[in-house]
Amino acid sequence: MKTDPAVIVIGAGAGGPVVAKELGELGIRVLVLEAGPWYGNKKWPEPNENCGMAKESSDPGDLDGTLYRRQLTRLENDMDDPVTGKFRWGAADRRRTPWYRNIPDRALLWQSAGIGGSTLHYYANSPRAFPEAIAEWPISYDELIPYYEKVEATLPVEFAPTTTKETLFYFGAEKAGFSVNRTLDVTSIGYRPQPNAILPPNEHLMDPNYSMEELSHMEGCTLSGHCGQGCPYGPSLEKMAKRPTTVSYVPLAMKTGYVTFRPNTFVTKVLTAYNAGGNQQATGVQIRDTWTGEMEELRAKAVVMAAGCVETPRLWLNSDLPYNPWVGRGLTNHYMDMVTGTFDEDTLMATVGSRTTNPFIGHTSGSRLDYPGLGMIENIGESPGLSAQQLFGFSQSGYNRLHHSDSGLWEQRGRLVGSELEKAMEDYSRTLTLSAITDDEVKFHNRVELDPHIKDEHGAVPRVHYEPSKKSKKRREQLIKIATDILRQAGAKKVHRTDLPANYYIHLQSTMRMGYVVDTSCEAYQVERLYVADNSADYNALGGPNPTATTQALATRTAEMLASKYF
Amino acid sequence: MPSVQHGYGSPFSAHDIGVHEYVINALNNNISIQQQLHHYVIPLAYPTAIMLDVAATQLVNAHQAQTYPQSLFPGGRMFSYLSRTDRIRTLSALENLAVDLYVLPSPFQNNAGMVKFVTDALNRFSMFGFYSEWPMYGSTRFFPPDDRRLEFFPLTWQQVGYPGVSLGYRDFRGFLLKIWRNGDSE
Repeated sequence: MKTDPAVIVIGAGAGGPVVAKELGELGIRVLVLEAGPWYGNKKWPEPNENCGMAKESSDPGDLDGTLYRRQLTRLENDMDDPVTGKFRWGAADRRRTPWYRNIPDRALLWQSAGIGGSTLHYYANSPRAFPEAIAEWPISYDELIPYYEKVEATLPVEFAPTTTKETLFYFGAEKAGFSVNRTLDVTSIGYRPQPNAILPPNEHLMDPNYSMEELSHMEGCTLSGHCGQGCPYGPSLEKMAKRPTTVSYVPLAMKTGYVTFRPNTFVTKVLTAYNAGGNQQATGVQIRDTWTGEMEELRAKAVVMAAGCVETPRLWLNSDLPYNPWVGRGLTNHYMDMVTGTFDEDTLMATVGSRTTNPFIGHTSGSRLDYPGLGMIENIGESPGLSAQQLFGFSQSGYNRLHHSDSGLWEQRGRLVGSELEKAMEDYSRTLTLSAITDDEVKFHNRVELDPHIKDEHGAVPRVHYEPSKKSKKRREQLIKIATDILRQAGAKKVHRTDLPANYYIHLQSTMRMGYVVDTSCEAYQVERLYVADNSADYNALGGPNPTATTQALATRTAEMLASKYF
Repeated sequence: MPSVQHGYGSPFSAHDIGVHEYVINALNNNISIQQQLHHYVIPLAYPTAIMLDVAATQLVNAHQAQTYPQSLFPGGRMFSYLSRTDRIRTLSALENLAVDLYVLPSPFQNNAGMVKFVTDALNRFSMFGFYSEWPMYGSTRFFPPDDRRLEFFPLTWQQVGYPGVSLGYRDFRGFLLKIWRNGDSE
C-alpha cells in the first residue's frame, strides 16, 4: 500500500516541477499530476499510441534521452500543429480532438499539455520582470532577486549567443539610437541578448573536425533552430541544450527521492473540507485518467494549482470553491504584434557579411530590446509553416490585397494571399522578424470564465475573453513603430506588418492575482492549504518581459513558504 | 495558394497536394464535447462550406461579387463560382460579420464568435498545411498522426530555402554579453 503524498501539484509545466523539486529537497512527499503525455520516459515508449506500462514514474533511471530524441522529431507539423501536434493542448492520443477552449474571435492560444507543459515549445527566454512593474506588486523586487538567482543557476540561464540574425538586430538597434544594456535588472531602455535557458554552444561547434552528428550528442546548443519543436540535442536527457522543465526541474525533483510524476491525469476538481477553525481547506483532488476515463480521489495535506492561466481558474470555478470576483479576471497577454523586414543580398553582405539571414538558424529568439514603460521587442525566427501562419495568415486588419495601406510605414499589412504570399515566402531566407510585446494593462473585463453551454469530459469548458485597453493599444503602436525603425535602420527594403489579433495567446498571465485571489505567499485567501504556482498568480504583466522566469522564481518562493507553514 | 514544382506531378498547386483535405481534417477534428454518456466530435468542415456558399450568395446578390459562368471546382456551389479576389472578399465579409448571421448553418447561426474563429482558421490552416512538412507525408498524409511516414522532402521547403530538420549550424559569432553568477553581467 502506498503512502498518500503530502502535497499534490496540479500541472507539470513551468511552475509545478519547481515546487516539486523544492519540496522534495526538504523531504516532503509530492505527487505531480499532469494532463498530457511524457516524452523521454521509458515507461511510455509510445506515449501517443497507448497508455504505457505504468501510471506514474519516480525513478530518474526511467528518463531516456534517446527516446526523447526519437519522439521530438523537430518537424513543425508533427510537433506544433494546434490540432494534432505532439505539443498541443490535448490528450496524449492524437486521434482525439484537442481539449476545447471557446475563444469567440480570431484566436490562437498556444499551450502544451505534457510533462514540461508549455516549456516544451517555449523559446526558453528567461528575463526577469522589470523592477518598475514589480513595484506595483504586494511584494518587492528585492525579495524576488534571490529566487531569480536560484532559478537562473538551476536551469541554468545564460545570455544567448550571437548568430547572423542577432548581428543584424544589434546593428539595427544601434543605428536606431539604442545602446547595449548590460544587466539582468532592467531599469532603462536598451538592447541585449536574451537571458535564456539554453546551454551555450559547445566549444567545438565551429571546428569541422567534429561532425554535426557528434556535436548533437555533446553538451551545448548546436544552433539548430528547433527551440519551438522541443530540441532534443545533448548527451543525455538531463543535459539537453534547451531547458524545458522536462529536462531540468523534473529530473532534479525525481532525484530527491520524494517526488512522483503521473502523466495522462486530468484534475477535474479540488476537494475541500472545513477544519476545526471553521475555515475551508484543500484536502485533495478528483482526477480522470485520459486514456481510460477512470476517476479517482487522491488526498494530501496541501494542493498546489499550477495548471496554467486558463485551467487554474477553470478548475477553481468547476470545483465550486468560494466566490471571488477576481478568479479568472485580470487576464493579460502582452498584446503582441510582428513586423517582418526583407533585405537584399548586397545590404546583408555589407552589414553582416552573409547573403542571407536564414532566420531558422540559432536560438529562435536570441536578442531583445527592453523598453520599460512600453514593453519589449524580440527577434523571432520560426520554421516556414509557423512563420507563414503567424506572420502572413493571422491578422486583425484582414487581407493586404483588399485595402490600401494608409500608412507609409509598412509596404504590406495583414494577411497575404496568392502571389503576394508566394513572394513573401520566397524571401524567407532574407528576412528578420521582430515581435512587439506590450506591457499589457490589467483589466477586470478580460477573463477566463466557464462556458454556460458547453462541457467536455472534464466539466464546463473555459471561455476566454480579451480586449486590450486603450493604453495597451497605444503602447503596442509605439513599440511596433520602434521595431519598424530598427528594421529600416538595419537596411530592410520592405517591411510587412502582421497586425496580430488581440486573441493571440503566448504569455497568458494574472487570472488568479496576488493580492486579490492569493496572498503574498500564493496561498488562496479563501481556501487554506491551496496554492497557485503558475503565471496566473502574477499581479500584472511584468512590464512586458516573458513570464516564465518570474513564475519559476515565485514557485521557488511559494514552495519555501508552504513548507514552513504546514510542514 | 501559390504553386510549386514537385513529386505529385509538376507543376503542383496547393490543390494538388490536397491542402483543402488538411483544412477539412483540421476543422473536423477541432472540437469535441460531452453530452451525458456521449462524447461527440463536432465536424465543422461541412457547415463551414455551406457558410462560405451562403455568404458568397449574399455578396453576389448585393453586387459586391461577380460569378464566373461555371464553377472553378467540380461540384462546387456559389463560393466556387467566384474569382480569388471575390473569395477573399467573402471571407473578409464573414470575419467582419457583414453578412446575415441568421441564415448561416448551425453552429454558425447567430454565433459571431464561431464565425470569426473558423473564418480566420481557414487562413491559418491553409498556410500551415502548405508550408509545414505535412505534404511530405505523401500517401500517408491523411493517416492519423502517429501512422504517417515521411516520403520525400517538401518542395515548399526547398522553394523557401529551409533545409528541414537540422542537427545544427556552424553560425556561432560569439557572445555580446556573459552572465557572471553574482547576478551582474559583463
